[in-house]
Amino acid sequence: MKAAPFEYARAASLSEVCALLATHGDGAKLLAGGQSLVPMMAMRLVRPAWLVDINEIAELKFIAVEKDMARTGACTRQGAVERDHALAARVPLLRQALAWVGHVQTRNRGTIGGSLAHADPCAELPLVAQVLGARMLLRSGTGARTLEAEKFFAGPMATNVRPGECLEEIHWPAWSWRHTGSAFTEISVRHGDFAMVAAAAQVAIDGDGRCVRAAFGLGGVGGTPLAFPKIAGRLVGTRLDDAAVNDAAHAAATETQPGSDLHASAEYRRHLAGVLAARALREARERARSL
Amino acid sequence: MTSFRYIGTKRRAKEHPRFVSGRGRFVADIALPGMKHVALVASPHAAARIVSIKTDAARAAPGVLYVLTGEEFCANTDSLAIGVDAPKVTRFALARGVVRYAGEWVAAVVADSRALAEDAAERVEVEYEPLPHVIDPEAALAPGAPLVHPAHGSNLLYHRKFVWGPVEEAFASAEHRIAFRAVWGRSATVPIETFGVAAQWDAGTGILDIWASIQMPKFPDQAARALRLPGNAVRVHYDVDVGGSYGVKRGIKHTVLVGYLAKKLGVAVRLIEDRLENLRGGDMQGPDRFFDMQVAFGADGVIRAMKIRAVDDVGAYAGRSPFQLGKPVTAICGPYAIGAIEYEPISVMTNKTPQEAVRGFGQSPTNFAIERAIDRAARHLGMDQVELRKRNFIRKDQFPYTIPSGSTYDSGDYHGVLDETLAAIDYGSLVRARDEARRSGRLAGIGISSCLEPSGGNSAFEVLMNPKNENTTWMDSCLVRVDLSGAITGVIGNSSAGQGHESLVSTVLGEILERDPETIRVVRADSLTALPSNSPVGSRMAIMLGGAAAGAAKTIKETLIAIAAHNFECSPEDLEYRDGSVNVKGAPSKEFSWDQLVEIAHRKFHKLPPGIEPGLQAKFVWEVPTGGALPTPEGRIQIYPCYAFEAHVVLVEIDPDTCKPAIRKYLCGHDCGVMINPDIVHGMTYGGIAHGLGAALYEKFAYTEDGQLASGTFMDYLIPSAMEVPAMAIVDHCTPSPLTTFGQKGSGEAGYLGAPAAIANAVNDALAPLGASIDTLPMSHLAIWNAIGARKGAAST
Ligand SMILES: Cc1cc2nc3c(=O)[nH]c(=O)nc-3n(C[C@H](O)[C@H](O)[C@H](O)COP(=O)(O)OP(=O)(O)OC[C@H]3O[C@@H](n4cnc5c(N)ncnc54)[C@H](O)[C@@H]3O)c2cc1C
Repeated sequence: MKAAPFEYARAASLSEVCALLATHGDGAKLLAGGQSLVPMMAMRLVRPAWLVDINEIAELKFIAVEKDMARTGACTRQGAVERDHALAARVPLLRQALAWVGHVQTRNRGTIGGSLAHADPCAELPLVAQVLGARMLLRSGTGARTLEAEKFFAGPMATNVRPGECLEEIHWPAWSWRHTGSAFTEISVRHGDFAMVAAAAQVAIDGDGRCVRAAFGLGGVGGTPLAFPKIAGRLVGTRLDDAAVNDAAHAAATETQPGSDLHASAEYRRHLAGVLAARALREARERARSL
Repeated sequence: MTSFRYIGTKRRAKEHPRFVSGRGRFVADIALPGMKHVALVASPHAAARIVSIKTDAARAAPGVLYVLTGEEFCANTDSLAIGVDAPKVTRFALARGVVRYAGEWVAAVVADSRALAEDAAERVEVEYEPLPHVIDPEAALAPGAPLVHPAHGSNLLYHRKFVWGPVEEAFASAEHRIAFRAVWGRSATVPIETFGVAAQWDAGTGILDIWASIQMPKFPDQAARALRLPGNAVRVHYDVDVGGSYGVKRGIKHTVLVGYLAKKLGVAVRLIEDRLENLRGGDMQGPDRFFDMQVAFGADGVIRAMKIRAVDDVGAYAGRSPFQLGKPVTAICGPYAIGAIEYEPISVMTNKTPQEAVRGFGQSPTNFAIERAIDRAARHLGMDQVELRKRNFIRKDQFPYTIPSGSTYDSGDYHGVLDETLAAIDYGSLVRARDEARRSGRLAGIGISSCLEPSGGNSAFEVLMNPKNENTTWMDSCLVRVDLSGAITGVIGNSSAGQGHESLVSTVLGEILERDPETIRVVRADSLTALPSNSPVGSRMAIMLGGAAAGAAKTIKETLIAIAAHNFECSPEDLEYRDGSVNVKGAPSKEFSWDQLVEIAHRKFHKLPPGIEPGLQAKFVWEVPTGGALPTPEGRIQIYPCYAFEAHVVLVEIDPDTCKPAIRKYLCGHDCGVMINPDIVHGMTYGGIAHGLGAALYEKFAYTEDGQLASGTFMDYLIPSAMEVPAMAIVDHCTPSPLTTFGQKGSGEAGYLGAPAAIANAVNDALAPLGASIDTLPMSHLAIWNAIGARKGAAST
């Protein structure tokens, strides 16, 4: 378990990253927290010719909480995001999801951008990005562009980040309704494993308890995390009673086409999808009501 | 009961400061001058003919010293020991001609660093012609199955049907009979340290020095034989800390490979498995076994007879693994007074990674099958599971008790331990908690297991299962030296994988010699200077090494008394020994101090009684108690001497919607006789329960149909973490063994021998209201979901 030979460069700035990526093209890989990349290199499943280390770049590490969104630099540690109270108050789903990501030790090293770029279909942060409709700011030597989460994820471990591009920052929309509640839940065999199935939900209700906005999604049941905007839209105007929530969860689960592996069959996953989507929606509703 | 000064008191383990402060010395810490590193080329196929191997490109790679293939290696070394009588099932570290499992080593690359060796290993070109393979043990037994070793003529390694007592009569006349299959999944102990070995050949002395992470009986002898060297040309250093084992650290194939390379190349060579090699090609996967169980019992719950057919899949080579079907013969009816037993062990080869010894040496799977039978019998009768156990337990006043297979249990108090365990967990309120959970719509179950831990490591299953093997000697030994300064040193001849042998020996020496164990040092001889040992297997060291240390210490004590008697010109009976000094009874001032006696022994020959050796040292070598016998023609035999007992009680809850199990309460009642160091016993037991939890719910070396290991990394081979292992408590009970020095029994396998059974019974109790059951381990989330069946539309719950 020793990586195949590679060259290493530690970039001092984002522009240097872009320059290095432009020079080395496809052969270069960015090294963020290394919690996914390094094991894959050690198993020789990935063999970058060049490793461009972005850990020392200050401009990629920040948390900014603004009126209608929070921004995080791509190389911000998962642990830092988890511990940020202002961020948790505006975009609570992030902290709720991060509790399920690996372990304290891996979160101290792993980054937000690394998790999104890695695009594991069972990973928690990509699901949050999908449910909230996060926007990814990509930078290259020739400019910048923004991708919506649903355009960002291309399939299992695949994104639409082009060679030469670096994920620079992520914009997490914040909802302004007073009664906004969110919840994240998942099933994995052991604590800290990637989810077999994960569910995230966020709902807002008005003073009468009527749903004004709802979003929810599922991870682990397709090639990318899935959001269900149409089904969620049907919840608007309801009181989010159990029957409505269960119907929505069931409808979403029915739409999924999960795969089978050693730990879960497709049927089991689809079953869990329904159970967890309902749980996440109910929990989000209770939080919204309690505010 | 005798009271002890040091034994049984809470004392910090002697080795803890070293490990806690990071001063252990493991094989990866051995750095030899000019040392080279090995990487391996492994077979991608479960079965294939090797058409050709091209090594030129690898040899030309940077930093590469040598590339070894099976042709050369097998021509210059001998097969590893085979165990059962199957001489054609030869086994070498590198495949020659054919590969028999995915992950089998085909070539070894020696280079300046492990990374360079891995780079070069990728350049070894092996052309394979895939052959038919077989993965399922039942398919392997069917006529026409692909043969793993065609020269052997079949895939069957061992098969015998033992009938002890009137089994058929009991079945014919019993009021009730049940039959079911219990399946134990292929799991193992997976230590944090993989196997490692370093070797160096000294052409001047003609000695091959070996440092290895081992726990294996007869290791130096087997290495020397396979390397075609005389025994005194191989020196195994036992002063290497072993980073976990519980059976699997055998590494004999690794050692012969590295020993051969070191001698051939004249450089120090090291191989430390990486995790991928360890899991796939390290040959450390444990028993993979199913049991066809039949039980005959009366309406009173009393079991009249039991039939056990055990089919064990040892993978592609034999080694010692078939013997893991043999050890359970020594406790084949568990703690129950069952008069007639049929046992049919069948050892089968398939194209999987070879099996190795795992904690309990086949006893935990057997205990699981027996305890599932007890649980099912109780359920069948609608009888309380505690009551049924108690009706069948051997009673305290029946010991020593000889079971149908010929082994005699030394002592026990099974009713007492179970009662104390149930009292400690407050069984009544546990039942109420379960029923309350059930009423609120959850699945909850209580599981009990009551199991034996045979200990003492008399490996008489060897002579039972191989008529050509007459090895009945399973001795251990200790050398005790008192130097001129009066300091005591115990010398032992084995390495330790965390069992605390230094604590054990210093405590025992301190106890007998009445000297503070803190001041007693314990060191390890190497294999050329060591007294004989059979290494720490089979929960034997508290008994065997503890007994040997005590024996040697007693000789020292007698010598000191003899010296005093000679100088006082009195009889030894007139003297008393206190804290190392010897005085005349009733006259405390007429005394020789420890220092004075030691000085006489070392320097004052004129004061030494005739016939006493100068210096002050004693060795003690002894055979395992009750050992030394051959089996009767019906296969009755005394295997292990001592029998510890454990009763587990566990409350499990399963989320009915997600099928996720969680352990709510765990208590283990444990009786291993006199505990020499309670902390060490408890540590072993906690770890054993955690290990058992892994076997019960999580861990499995799963294979795909095309023979690939599907759980070859820690992403898929799931070891429970601190988050899954529940809080647990242990209740100690002490029934001394009459066979051992202080009344101790073994405890190295404690916890693991009963945990899988208890957890399986609890999960089944939880599923019972749904009419579902599981008799296959591990009981994964998916397996529980499958057992519950398609409970659709659960989104509504
Ligand atoms: C024991 C363990 C348990 C884990 N459990 C979980 C879990 O439960 N859930 C979960 O989601 N994850 C889990 N992980 C993975 C962890 O969250 C990783 O940190 C994460 O997947 C990758 O982030 P990283 O910063 O470590 O990225 P790296 O490993 O450094 O990189 C991952 C990939 O992203 C690319 N990349 C990184 N940064 C950028 C960027 N700015 N722009 C473009 N591409 C970039 C890299 O080139 C690489 O391809 C676990 C990891 C471990 C070791």
